[in-house]
Order: sequence, then C-alpha cells, then structure tokens
Amino acid sequence: MAGSAIAGLGVTDVGKVYGRTARDFAADAVRRACADAGLRTSELDGLLVTPGLSPGLDVSLIVDLGVRELKLLTEIGGDGTSVCAAVSSAAMAIDAGLATTVACVFADAPLRRGTSAGAAFEPGEPPAGFEGLLGDAGLASVHSRFALAAHRHMETFGTTSEQLGAIAVAQRQWAAGNPLAQQREPITLADHQNSRLIADPLRLLDCCLVSNGGAAVIVTSAARAASLAQPPVHVLGFAQSHPVHREHRGSGFGLVSGAAEAGRLAMRMAGTGIGDVDIAELYDCFTIAVLLTLEDYGFCGKGEGGPFAEEGNLMPGRGRVAVNTGGGQLSGCYLWGMTPLVEAVIQARGTGGDRQAARNEVIVVSGNGGAFDHHSTLVLGPDRRGGP
Amino acid sequence: MVRRDEASAPFFDALARGELTVRRCSDCAELAAPQSRACPVCSATAHEWTVVEGSGVLVSWTVRRDRGGEILAVGGIVELTEGPWLRARLAIEPCRLSAGLPVTVLIERRDGEEPVPVFTL
Repeated sequence: MAGSAIAGLGVTDVGKVYGRTARDFAADAVRRACADAGLRTSELDGLLVTPGLSPGLDVSLIVDLGVRELKLLTEIGGDGTSVCAAVSSAAMAIDAGLATTVACVFADAPLRRGTSAGAAFEPGEPPAGFEGLLGDAGLASVHSRFALAAHRHMETFGTTSEQLGAIAVAQRQWAAGNPLAQQREPITLADHQNSRLIADPLRLLDCCLVSNGGAAVIVTSAARAASLAQPPVHVLGFAQSHPVHREHRGSGFGLVSGAAEAGRLAMRMAGTGIGDVDIAELYDCFTIAVLLTLEDYGFCGKGEGGPFAEEGNLMPGRGRVAVNTGGGQLSGCYLWGMTPLVEAVIQARGTGGDRQAARNEVIVVSGNGGAFDHHSTLVLGPDRRGGP
Repeated sequence: MVRRDEASAPFFDALARGELTVRRCSDCAELAAPQSRACPVCSATAHEWTVVEGSGVLVSWTVRRDRGGEILAVGGIVELTEGPWLRARLAIEPCRLSAGLPVTVLIERRDGEEPVPVFTL
C-alpha cells in the first residue's frame, strides 16, 4: 500500500484541559491537521472517527467541520488499535478510489477537575455473571488485567520490576526533549521502585498518564501529498492480529501478543525487515506493553525484553532502534493510538528537535487493545525526494 | 455483589450444591473455562457442565490496593488440574504467591448474593 501518505498532523492542547468535550477536541484536531497540510476542511472527502472513553464523539462530528459531503465516514472502535486501523482503512479506501483525502481523528476527555486520573479507568458497577466474579476478585480493571500479564511474564522469564522500571526511566528521559510531553522531570529507578503499587506488580510509574485532548492526521495519495504543504510521510505497510488466548493450560497469555503476527505481516507488506527499523513508537499503556511488543516484533529474543531494557537500549542515543522518542503514553500524553502515531509523523518529518532520532528511514507504530487481545501495526517512512 | 445472569446460572447453582463446574463441549468433549460462549477448539455452542476436582496451580496473580496501600482484593489465574483456567479470588497472603503454587477451591457462601469460588493453599 505504498501509494498513500500522511500529509497533515494536528494536535490540540493536551493534558488537564477542561471545559471541552471529546467532540470539541476532535473538530479542533481535524482543523489543525488540515491547516498543517495546507487544506481547507471542505476539501476532505473522508473522515474516520476513533473515540476514547468519553461519550459523544461519533459520525455526527461531520457537522462541525464545514464540509458539504463525505464519501467515507465511519467510527472505528478497536480500542487501542483504532488509530492504526483508521490509517490503514484510509489507505485502502484511497487505493480503492472511495475517497481522496481522509482525516483520521482520536479525541477523549476522561479527566474531570478534582478527581484522580486513575478514576477515569475504574470499572463501574460490576455486571452480573462471570464478569461480576472478576470484579469481586479485583480482576476487572484494566490495571489488573495487565498486572496478571506482567506477573506471568516475570514468573516465566525472570523479568523483574526493576527491568520494567528501566522502560519508565528511559521514556521519561526521551520526554525531557519533548516540549509537548506532560511529564518532563527526569526520574530514577529508585523513583519507580518507590512509586506506589497500583496492582502488583505494576506501580504508578508503570502506568500511562490520562489526558484530555485530540489529534488527527490527513491521509491522501502519495502523489497528492507531494503537492501539499508538508513532506509526505509514506504508509509502507500495515496489519492487524487478534489472537484469542484460550483460558486453558498452554495459553500464551502474558507471554506473546498479536504483535508477533501483525509485525511480521506489516513488515512483509512494507518489503522490509525488523532489522531495518530505525524508530519504534510502541503503544505503552503500561511498561509491560513495551516489553512484550519489543519481544514480539523481534527487537530482542522472546523473554529477553527485561535484560534488553535493563542494559539501557531504550535510553536516548543508546540502542540500535530508538523507542518511544516522545516519552510515549507513560510520560508524553495519553491519546491512545495517536500518541505513538503523532511522534512517528514528527520523527519521519525530521522535526523532533532535541529528540530527533539519528535515522528515520523505517518507523514502526503499534496499537494495543484489551489486555494484549488486539494488535495493529503501521510501518511508515519519510519522504525520499532528494534522497538516495 | 455477585449476581447471576442466564449464562452463569448453572455455574452458581452448582456452587450452591458445593460443586465447582466447567463447560464441556457436547460435540468434541473439550473442557473450557465457565465463561466461554463457544468451544475454543471446535466452536460448537452446545455444552454440558461437568464437575471438576477443585484443585490446580497458580498461573499469575495481582493485588488490588487503595491509595494508602491497603489490600482490597487478591486475585489470580488458577489452572485447574483438568486444564481450564479460572480467574478467581485468592485467600492467600500475597507474599506466599508464586507460579505453580498448588491451590484448592473453597466455596464462600454469602448472605443475599451468589456463592463465590475462592482458592486457598
């Protein structure tokens, strides 16, 4: 699908930004992305809406954009995989001739003044039946589901909390170079180890931020993108994988995710290999998600994610691949799948400033949904005009 | 409060009789975790409920805490001797938990709600 490119990027104010709905943020993000590309919103003929937790963001967003008609409009609800899925759907729609200029947008506004960030993700009144039993055992929250995965990885491969901490420390170091990051003060491994337990073994500094805000990208044909305001960021490959781990002896839960298959397929479409990847922007709702995705994509061996992080490979300027260069969801901001995609577009354009990676020829972007139930991958590349 | 729904009613009825049950596929006889809606091996939906021994080993676990660090609940994944996994409450000190730990079920009866399977040493 080498025919499509990301031509525009728009990010709203992000963080503890109150008084605006998810739909407000979404419209703002789409307008910013169009302006970045040098387009009017009236030139859009496609819109793919990916909502977060907040209600009210759906296809009715169309009326806020000043467009007369769209040829492609739908909501994509794939949890953390939605954004990669939206960009790949846009690329396929463009390839099929359904639309020429598609905005993909995510926005959410789960934070409320005076309540904790974690409260936004607490499960509500437990439902009846088996799901209610999970709640009774303290296993219904997203934190607990990832904690179960993390403990299994630890017990199987000897992964330690300190190794997960090395991921948090490295990403905060990257965030220090990102003016858009919400958390930029450096942290140490001791800070990680001293942060409170949320769901053993996950500590506060293993968990992503919670943010209000939105972001959008404009996908168009590579040929059209070349005539617009920004250097195109080429969509080289994409894939999804949704493995169902049987709740039974022999299950791979916590040990392997859809990243293994989605990564392999996306690389194949891009005609490249994992050894060619310069930058990885990985969905990092929790530190364990980074670790498992690194292993499954093949940046290190299975079970070796802990030592890989501990050896400092994720620190700025250290590893062969630059990982989560904007601080990710742990330290940058939490816009679900847009967090890794926004940073990937910035890195592909070479506008990362202090945090710009040395090489940016092949960039991989991941999306995680559920607790390792869903995975999507995008492979992006910079504009090569004037290059070799 | 633990409440039944249509799908879980036979499971809770069995617990009330003092029996822990899992699903057994009517077509291929594979066992599956109680919450399964189709056989994970042959995808058939027809099933019976079969009584299991109630013993197994711990696969993973977590501890829910409040902001002050006080323990709210200890829960984990138990691999039953027969194969299926149960995600359930654990009545075991967190410091004693490790993968492979043998555990056994205890049915906790509560006033005004359904009985709950809890695993202990």
